[in-house]
Amino acid sequence: MQTTEEHLRALMIDGLNGDAKAHEALLRLLVPLLRGFYRRRLRGADDDVEDMVQETLIAVHTRRATYDRERPFTAWLYAVARYKMIDHLRRVGRLRPIEDYDEWLTAADFEASSIARLDVDDLLQGLPDKQARAIRATRIEGLSVAEAASAEGIGESDVKVSVHRGLKALMGRVQGALR
Amino acid sequence: MNTDDLVRHLAKETRPVGRNSVARRLAIGMAAGGTGSAILILIALGMRPDLGTAMQGTSFWMKWGYTFSLAVAALMTTAQLARPDSGRLRGLWLLVIPVVLLAGIGFLELARTPSSQWLAMWLGESWKSCPWMVLSLSAPIFAGLLWSFRRLAPTRLRAAGAAAGLSAGAFAATVYCLHCPEVSAIFVLTWYSLGIVLATLLGMLVGPRLLRW
Repeated sequence: MQTTEEHLRALMIDGLNGDAKAHEALLRLLVPLLRGFYRRRLRGADDDVEDMVQETLIAVHTRRATYDRERPFTAWLYAVARYKMIDHLRRVGRLRPIEDYDEWLTAADFEASSIARLDVDDLLQGLPDKQARAIRATRIEGLSVAEAASAEGIGESDVKVSVHRGLKALMGRVQGALR
Repeated sequence: MNTDDLVRHLAKETRPVGRNSVARRLAIGMAAGGTGSAILILIALGMRPDLGTAMQGTSFWMKWGYTFSLAVAALMTTAQLARPDSGRLRGLWLLVIPVVLLAGIGFLELARTPSSQWLAMWLGESWKSCPWMVLSLSAPIFAGLLWSFRRLAPTRLRAAGAAAGLSAGAFAATVYCLHCPEVSAIFVLTWYSLGIVLATLLGMLVGPRLLRW
């Protein structure tokens, strides 16, 4: 299962041309992406996450005519997801002040960082679970080795070794892809 | 409904979508609304009796050209704002062209007319009602555009509302040419434009409420 920009875009375009299978495959691939997107941003509101995912899927489906085939698909998708979230926050009128959200949501590098995150998720999926978790905790979420170790219930050296091996494997894979 | 069922349900109704469907949908909404406005004119105001002869003169086409080109440029802006990833707007400067051209014509007109007649030329016969007519006639067109937006995805609702209001106002003014007997460029530049600006402001005001999705 691949969730790269090209793959999603190809499915979207086939769907726009009337291919129901491609469209269904696209919507299925979007489910985990959107779950991740909303889970990271609606911390402590897990009930809302699935609602938001469904609402966004419906919007992606009913308003897909607004996707321009010449432009990146992920940028379009996250623009829809972001709008839906701002609308949601405005509606419930709680959590944090909305101006604050608006600001970091519309930061210029938001799309770029989302796409980069997709790529990272892709890469990490190819690793053994333990190594992927260790890398995610220490290198992406910014935990210390000790915190990561206690969160996982394993030794510190175990975390270090997992990170080391995982990064080495990733490096080999990325270089292999470039060659 | 669980998410899996939803996906299956949505995928069942996968219809092909044309490349220009955003522009087409907006054009349909605007044309349908414009038809409504035209019918409103026929019923409530009546066509100008000399429409046939007026259509052979230049002032009719000046008015029509000004308002129609403004409507087209506004609709192009609306089409961009109808997409979620609209980014920077292109072609906004096109809106200035009709205004500058009409101002140029108005200037020539003034130069050719003795200044004692300027005021009469500027106010015409209907300056008090004209902006309100344009604003009222824009309502059916704005409603048509709201229908168009039901399948579109604006994310800057205030801007999209203003663009839709501007399109509706400019096209309402185009339709209003069927009734309005005024001939001077400075009349059109002032009072038509005032009606169009009012429609734009109203669109901007109601956009966040009515364009939500």
